[in-house]
Amino acid sequence: MALAAPTRKPPNDDSTEAPVFAVDGLWKVFGPKAARVPEDPELSALSPAELRERAGCTAAVRDVSFDVRKGEVFVVMGLSGSGKSTLVRCLTRLIEPTAGTIAIDGEDVRAMDKARLRELRRHRAAMVFQHFGLLPHRTVLDNVAYGLQIQGIGKAERRERAAEVVAKVGLEGMEQRRPGQLSGGQRQRVGLARALAVDPEVLLFDEPFSALDPLIRRDMQEEVIRLHEEEGRTMVFITHDLQEALRLGDRIALMRDGRIVQLGTPEEIVGSPADDYVRDFVRDVPREQVMTVRRAMRPASAEDAGNGPAVPPEATVAEAIEAVARAGAPARVVDEGRCVGVVDSDALLGVVAGVAAPGDADPDAGAV
Amino acid sequence: MATLTAPTPRTALPGVLRHRATRKLVTLAALAAVLVPLAHTHWAGGTWPQALTVDLSGPLGGASDWIIDNRDSHPLFLYFFGHVSNAVVVSVRVVYLFLLAAGWAGVTALGAAVAWRVAGARLALGTAAALLVCGLLGMWVPTMQTLALMVVAVLASVAVGALLGLAAGLSDRMDRALRPVLDTMQVLPAFAYLLPVVLVFGIGVPAAVLATVIYAAPPMARLTALGLRGADKEVLEAVDSLGATARQRLLTARVPLARKELLLGVNQTIMMALSMAVIASVIGAGGLGDRVYQALASVDVGAALAAGIPIVLLAVVLDRVTGAAGERLGQDQHGPRPWLHAAAAAAATVVVALAARLAGRLDWPTGWTVGIAGPVNRAVDWMTAHLYSGVPYVGGTADWAGRFTTWVLDPVRSGLQWLPWWSVLLIVAALAWLIGTWRTALTAVLAMAAIGVLGVWKPSLDTLSQVLAAVAVTLVLGFAIGIAAARSDRVERLLRPVLDVFQTMPQFVYLIPVVALFGVGRAPAVAAAVVYALPAVVRITAQGLRQVDPAALESARSLGATSGQQLRQVQLPLARPALLLAVNQGVVLVLAVVIIGGLVGGGALGYDVVFGLAQGDLATGLVAGAAIVCLGLMLDRVTQPTRRRAKKGA
Repeated sequence: MALAAPTRKPPNDDSTEAPVFAVDGLWKVFGPKAARVPEDPELSALSPAELRERAGCTAAVRDVSFDVRKGEVFVVMGLSGSGKSTLVRCLTRLIEPTAGTIAIDGEDVRAMDKARLRELRRHRAAMVFQHFGLLPHRTVLDNVAYGLQIQGIGKAERRERAAEVVAKVGLEGMEQRRPGQLSGGQRQRVGLARALAVDPEVLLFDEPFSALDPLIRRDMQEEVIRLHEEEGRTMVFITHDLQEALRLGDRIALMRDGRIVQLGTPEEIVGSPADDYVRDFVRDVPREQVMTVRRAMRPASAEDAGNGPAVPPEATVAEAIEAVARAGAPARVVDEGRCVGVVDSDALLGVVAGVAAPGDADPDAGAV
Repeated sequence: MATLTAPTPRTALPGVLRHRATRKLVTLAALAAVLVPLAHTHWAGGTWPQALTVDLSGPLGGASDWIIDNRDSHPLFLYFFGHVSNAVVVSVRVVYLFLLAAGWAGVTALGAAVAWRVAGARLALGTAAALLVCGLLGMWVPTMQTLALMVVAVLASVAVGALLGLAAGLSDRMDRALRPVLDTMQVLPAFAYLLPVVLVFGIGVPAAVLATVIYAAPPMARLTALGLRGADKEVLEAVDSLGATARQRLLTARVPLARKELLLGVNQTIMMALSMAVIASVIGAGGLGDRVYQALASVDVGAALAAGIPIVLLAVVLDRVTGAAGERLGQDQHGPRPWLHAAAAAAATVVVALAARLAGRLDWPTGWTVGIAGPVNRAVDWMTAHLYSGVPYVGGTADWAGRFTTWVLDPVRSGLQWLPWWSVLLIVAALAWLIGTWRTALTAVLAMAAIGVLGVWKPSLDTLSQVLAAVAVTLVLGFAIGIAAARSDRVERLLRPVLDVFQTMPQFVYLIPVVALFGVGRAPAVAAAVVYALPAVVRITAQGLRQVDPAALESARSLGATSGQQLRQVQLPLARPALLLAVNQGVVLVLAVVIIGGLVGGGALGYDVVFGLAQGDLATGLVAGAAIVCLGLMLDRVTQPTRRRAKKGA
């Protein structure tokens, strides 16, 4: 299965710019007297089962911290019950967090009053839901325009703006249908359009494609990639599907039992798993399609210069394999006209096999 | 259900049940062993001990007298009930005058236009035809009286019910407080509501309208709350995520999402209101119900039928039109400009009404009526002469009724009355506990004891004997027909329209044919109750059997089970919750009609209520009404499966 668009670069990789969302030490505990759990170091150290027994509480999100950078697709990935859906709802306080801080563009979300919070939900963050959450009694057009209606925009204007968005997600001609008359994929396009119609700063996706057939899911993923490339909107994407996470994410936060066990680019997650859980998780990923040649290359020596095909450093290992196989010689990794390294078939095979390759970021491997 | 705890359901189920049942019975027996000798030594004898009754007729009579004396002077009546009463009288009057002013042509056109807009052309024709038949039968004026009362009562019921439902739908505390009340109101016979209203408002239109509102508002409240609570959580979350205010959330999401339930609530409210508006003729509602009531009092079946047919037609039309409106919700097939059609319909109505008015034909033309009373009475006379008795081999209908009374009703009644009073309580407790929980058992026993305390032990047992006989017949017939309908598509197709019509008819109407067939007495009351309760029992049984997991049935078939084995070993056990529900519904519906049977010689509690009303002896009536409430509560609780089980079964 082909994975991520091969030579995609995070649009804004400089981390100096202020993050869209800055989450620090976030907790969400369900149950009686939930607030004491994050405060009490003894309770907060307990495992989920122990906590349930001792305090009768369930900690869905435990001490989570991350930044979402402007223009990136930030994926939160985890199995069911890992707390990812709770986490995304905490961002706009659809679920009230128990402890920690959330800031959007530097503004404290938890300190917002009702009006300010509505303002945030109306204009700055829009959400796409797993089961679409459409209003069955409204037409497609009116569903898409619903967010604008909530904002108090007049009928003619909101319909006009909704019609544009409907066209953008490829639903022309279906404006007058009801959600009940649409297929699952089309319904989620309506959900997506509704979120886009309010022109939010951030799009939040809560497992939006889990309920769809595999083929439709692929279409929708491509749709999201296309939208992201066209508009560069910041996205927070929740999924339990690793393939989807690797395909869409600029960075991935992998969650387990409410904690983030690893946060990094797809290549980092697959290339250097933080622990056995993550390693187990990514075992079956076709590594050659996620890893780039940076991971496999060795420093260029004098005799390599000028020989063999040239590949860019963002090229995947799979692409390099093809180039090497065609040329029958090691490939040069060329960055802006400068040869930064060389990959040969042994190094590429090493990546595919999951054996540490020379030049791996892993410090134990040592630089040659 | 027990199946959830046991890995091999079919073999384990009876074992587990027996085990639990014996435990309950042993506990109860131990309790009885202590209490019964104690009770027996103090208050021996078959009937409820005199020492344990409280005579309420004195205080109740006093209260009733006080109200009658103070109705014109006490501030409570002057400033509250008086206004309510006046408002009701004025609004019914206004609607009635409007209907008369529109004339028969205008009303027919209006009915057809409304039906056309909400339910389509076919039902519009049906509505017009039904209204014209009402006129043809010479019942135009009573029909309009009933309709006027209905319009006011339905509007009030819907408003009250929707407000209560809104409160219960939005507030958990309100829901917890309202639900048991509404649940209980749902199972009480209509007759129980009449007396308290009469006590306050006296006999007349206000009492009739208010009794109707009290009877018809609960389904609206229940369904509104259900609809608001049943809204898709994710949709509401999506609405929140877009930053909706609480008001926007309610108006643009929660209420529209509950439209199906709201319309179903309106439908049920209309049907209940019609049913009650007819019964309320006993307390001065006038209209069609009054005609039936008067005719039945003089056993004039023809006149009763002439007034009964319009009632049935109204019921069917109202049910179909509101039902169709609910079904059309999902698939909006309105053209681009629905208001254009609506305006056209309104214009047509006005034109027809004006035309009739200018032609001087406001009242239904006297020449156009068809008197069916005469022919029908002749037919009934013929039946009396030829079918009542002495038909070779099968005997006559009156013979059947007589035999049923002698061989079934009398023994059951004397048996119940012969039983020591504490053993009746014990049986009630045992049954209720076996089927439900100790809570339902306690309520049932307390309700039964309250009947004794009220001093109406004997008539209540009389009513109970009729209920038991009717329920037995209903269940035997209902299960048999239900099983047949579940097993054969043809039977189901044949039954469906019959059941549809039978389920929409008001209780009162059932008395007409049974009086024609069986005369008056207890047997006809039982027969009417059976006919009334049968459709619901058949329908629930058939549905329950048909909804049995096809995979379980298929696996039984793959093991080579015969169709009898499939039925006994798979379908019936798996449909147990539905069968219990059928029993419960059967009991509740039977009780409602057995009570009304007091009007056709059923005697017992129903007669006490009617007697109390007729003689102005409200104390007797109120005590009987309270006993009816207790009996209804007891019967419902005894047959009510535990909530937990019902939920899992659903």
